[in-house]
Amino acid sequence: MNPSSLEHSTAAREESAPHKATTSPILEIEGLCKTYGTGFRTLKILHNVDLKLHAGDTCAVVGPSGSGKSTLLGLCAGLDRATSGSVRLLGRPLEDLDEDQRAALRNEGVGFVFQSFQLLPTLTALENVLVPLELSGISGARAQACAILERVGLGGRFHHYPLQLSGGEQQRVALARAFIRRPRILFADEPTGNLDADTSAPIVEMLFEMNRAHGTALVLVTHDPALAARACRIVRMRAGSIERETTHERP
Amino acid sequence: MNDPENSGAGTGRAGAPAARGRWMGLFQAWTWRMAWRDSRTQRKRLLLFSSSIVLGIAALVAIHSLKARFEAGIRTQANALLGSDLQVSSRDPFPVDAVAWMQTHAKRVRRETSFSSMLSFPKADAARLVQVRGVEPDYPFYGKLETDPPEAWQRLHSEGGIVLEPALLDQFGVGVGDRVKLGSLELPILGSFKKGGPRSSRFGGFSPQVFVPYSALDQTGLLGANSLVFHLLHSELSGANSGALPAGASPGNTLAREFRKHFPESRWQFETPESRRDSLGNSLEQLEEFLGLLALVALVLGAIGVAAAIHTHVSRRIESIAILRCLGCPASTAFAIYLAQALVLVAGGALIGAALGLGVQQGVASVFARHLPVALPPAPAWPVIAQTTFAGFTICMGFALLPLLRIRGVPPSVVLRASVEPQRPLWTRPAEIVCALLLMALLWGLTVLHGTPPRRAALLMAGLMLVFALLFGTAAGAAALARRLPRPSWPYVLRQGFSNLFRPQNQTLLFLLSLGLGNCLLLTVLLVRGSLLESLKPRDLRASPNIYLVDVQEDQRAGVKALLAGLGLPLLENAPIVTMRIASVKGVPLRELEQQAEARAKAAREKGGEPKGTPRWVLQREYRSSYRAELTGSEELAAGALFSSLPWKPGAEPVPVSLEAKIARDLELGVGDELGLDVQGVPLRAKVVNLRKVDWSRFNLNFFMVFPPGVLEAAPGFTVITTRIPKEASSGALQRALVREFPNVSAIDLTLILETVTEILEQISRVVEVLAGVTVLAGAPILLGCLLNGHAQRLRESVLLRTLGASRRQVRSVFLVEYACLGAVSGLAGAALAVVVHAALAHFVLKAAPWPEARVIAAGVLLPPLLSLAGGAWLSRGVCTPSPLEILRENA
Repeated sequence: MNPSSLEHSTAAREESAPHKATTSPILEIEGLCKTYGTGFRTLKILHNVDLKLHAGDTCAVVGPSGSGKSTLLGLCAGLDRATSGSVRLLGRPLEDLDEDQRAALRNEGVGFVFQSFQLLPTLTALENVLVPLELSGISGARAQACAILERVGLGGRFHHYPLQLSGGEQQRVALARAFIRRPRILFADEPTGNLDADTSAPIVEMLFEMNRAHGTALVLVTHDPALAARACRIVRMRAGSIERETTHERP
Repeated sequence: MNDPENSGAGTGRAGAPAARGRWMGLFQAWTWRMAWRDSRTQRKRLLLFSSSIVLGIAALVAIHSLKARFEAGIRTQANALLGSDLQVSSRDPFPVDAVAWMQTHAKRVRRETSFSSMLSFPKADAARLVQVRGVEPDYPFYGKLETDPPEAWQRLHSEGGIVLEPALLDQFGVGVGDRVKLGSLELPILGSFKKGGPRSSRFGGFSPQVFVPYSALDQTGLLGANSLVFHLLHSELSGANSGALPAGASPGNTLAREFRKHFPESRWQFETPESRRDSLGNSLEQLEEFLGLLALVALVLGAIGVAAAIHTHVSRRIESIAILRCLGCPASTAFAIYLAQALVLVAGGALIGAALGLGVQQGVASVFARHLPVALPPAPAWPVIAQTTFAGFTICMGFALLPLLRIRGVPPSVVLRASVEPQRPLWTRPAEIVCALLLMALLWGLTVLHGTPPRRAALLMAGLMLVFALLFGTAAGAAALARRLPRPSWPYVLRQGFSNLFRPQNQTLLFLLSLGLGNCLLLTVLLVRGSLLESLKPRDLRASPNIYLVDVQEDQRAGVKALLAGLGLPLLENAPIVTMRIASVKGVPLRELEQQAEARAKAAREKGGEPKGTPRWVLQREYRSSYRAELTGSEELAAGALFSSLPWKPGAEPVPVSLEAKIARDLELGVGDELGLDVQGVPLRAKVVNLRKVDWSRFNLNFFMVFPPGVLEAAPGFTVITTRIPKEASSGALQRALVREFPNVSAIDLTLILETVTEILEQISRVVEVLAGVTVLAGAPILLGCLLNGHAQRLRESVLLRTLGASRRQVRSVFLVEYACLGAVSGLAGAALAVVVHAALAHFVLKAAPWPEARVIAAGVLLPPLLSLAGGAWLSRGVCTPSPLEILRENA
């Protein structure tokens, strides 16, 4: 972990969220379990997972397919409810929040990037980026959305629909959308999983640059060892549990 | 990277759209903007879907606005149709004290005597049965009687003469100034009435009316021997033009009650504008029942169409909804976005539907108007159109809500993994259950609002819910069967096609709930239409009499028979007729029975239902009875024994009587019960010895009461003789001979009546066909919705199959097997349910035969699989057109 980066980002967050204690974790999960009932059988996806992340942290979740990485990410982000255990995101216990309160929390301080981009197909690139702002009632943010699209290199693609963009371009729109509200934590589910190495590189750079610039905590689910190695912490999952956790300095 | 200036966004939801309640999202501009953006790639499809609403609401608006115009016509013209506030009629001349009583209680009283008679036109050497109405001056009190020339009505009373219906002038080529002969009186034609004027509701309604001065009637010499005479007292009550008052509260009704109290023994009939209004309305009751059903079906079809459309639309939008939820969109806002789309879709469809419905009803009205007993108001019934459109919009929105409610339950985790959890069963989704129940309540309300009794409407709703439940069950059964049926030895395409019926994202339930239900409703409409048209169809009457010679007196019988023989016409029937009234039933005097009937009618009016027990008219009517030993060809013994097998001796009382089965049911009489009769002043005790089933449609001489010979011979009466003239021959020669030799004998030409009836029935049938056609069209978009629903899913599957090496033919075959199975199950289930629903409706509502038309059922079973197959073929054609790569990229 880079202490100076952490200090910088914490200070940055304090400006916009003065009610948060600087030392409190941004994500804290304890004894997290998730099971699915499929007909007559019960499928255990996650078992007793603990994890703690502070502002500015970068964490890569790795492990074989079916080890529960994406489920963990979804539970951390409040996309789903845990069967047992607790998730505290941005200082708020998710189990105490209803669907809409969790949605509000996501809109306020959480960003997402998905392997399959998950852009709204009927909206242009610009409109896709504007959605999080519009959802929070902020209008007149068009210039801001254009600026962020320019930053990700899509200056000439404002009015293109997702289908008219390449995979890399779509992921850059998703990145712009994820960062438009300057989230305090960003969850990325295999962000380069659908992209080749050349296209992936700038995406990864942007992710980490945003982490550095704004102190955004980064949770990455990935199969890519090189990408995982860029994170300060690597959580290795197997069969729904954390098998091993390693921490190292930011390269 | 620039820091976004978003410090305005707080930690709460203060600024977020639609965070303050499920429906509040609709009041946010962003919701509508998103709804618009989201519809970008779907607009054509959504427009196509709205066609089901358009057609459903068009049928609804057309039917109800037509009905409303008809009712408005009756309402505004009820006074004019009667011409007075109270009309009292009697088969005997009114006693002087009764006329005097009425004169002291009413503002004005005028007398009328009306009867059917032959009117001869010497100029044309022809005669025609007409309804003669001898009226005193100043009648009618209401309604302007326009004549041509305009002064004809004035001259009728000042100079004497006759005013005729214009059709008679045309038919016989006569004009003003020509003379006609009524009995022994010659009268000049003063003119014809153009429009307006009171109409009689009595027998003779099919024969043209002629007006003569009341004072001239005696000189015709027709009154004495005529059995079809009615005496009427028309009263005008001061300030009593009370068309708006509820039935039972009008001055006319009040005076009628008083009059009855003063003359308790009288057998007079009373008619007020209100009762005339009711009877006119009732005359088309069966048709109205059908139209009501048609409207309901059209609306439900439209609603199913929109529900299927929204279901499809929402299914395609699940990922987008999950993305929005992931980005922090509250469930209520996501719901509001699609609710907004549905609102626009349904409102637009409703408005276009209303416009189309308006056009249809105008067209139908213009074709049909001249055959109605009332003139339709020229302007469409705008409030009804607005009300019906709104009701249709509400019901369609209610149906659309059912699939929309799913949106609230879309978890954001769908972005990570589709179908994380299976859809919860219906009983764990209270909002949808409440919505469905509210919808049923709304439909019930709408049905009641449009005139169906509440209980019957509730039964209809219960039936509809039962149909839904059965279709759910059938879907589950079909899926289970599809799981078990395929064998490993079956070809791959067959197994795959069958498997599509139960695998995740199968369409079995959707097909059954939309195509199956649509099929059921359409078949019901077509079957009921068939029953209705069958009951409207005139029978084959080649062997039936078509001329009735009424009022043949005892001493004229031989002469009339000879006249028929001379003209080469057969004497088919020859029945003596004696008029009588009921005095008591099972020992209970008539007065008491009438009071009971009145109390029942009042109670039923208050409850809004139909009165039970013996109707008043059955007790009060005059029975024209005959006597004979045997049954005729149009009769069948239903219960009891024939006269010939009875030990009864002439002269002994009670005398045996045979009752027609339906009138016996109305009178609540069975074999062995006693009946007191008043035979023109002479009391007669009778005992029911048998019940007869009569085929009234054959126009033979049939009677409610038949006595054995030896009872009524001494009573004053007359004879009716029937004959049949060949189709091509005119009855003119017979009518002319009758007028010449037996002027009191009326020849009722059924061919003319039949022509009129047939023409009216044809018009009604055409209306039924047009409206049923519009309803059938409303069902078409449902199939389209069904087919398009599975398209995207099947597209993905077919691409995978093609990528794995399946040929186009194999892909197509899989499609065809699946769609043929879905169509077959929907067709069978819909047809089976329609047979049951039709039987129930035919039995309880339409009082028709419950057997379905085989043709319609065959079409209902065969067409859905064929159409579904065709649709599957069409879809599979599209599936194989784009390259797999294209689709994989689109769905990546």
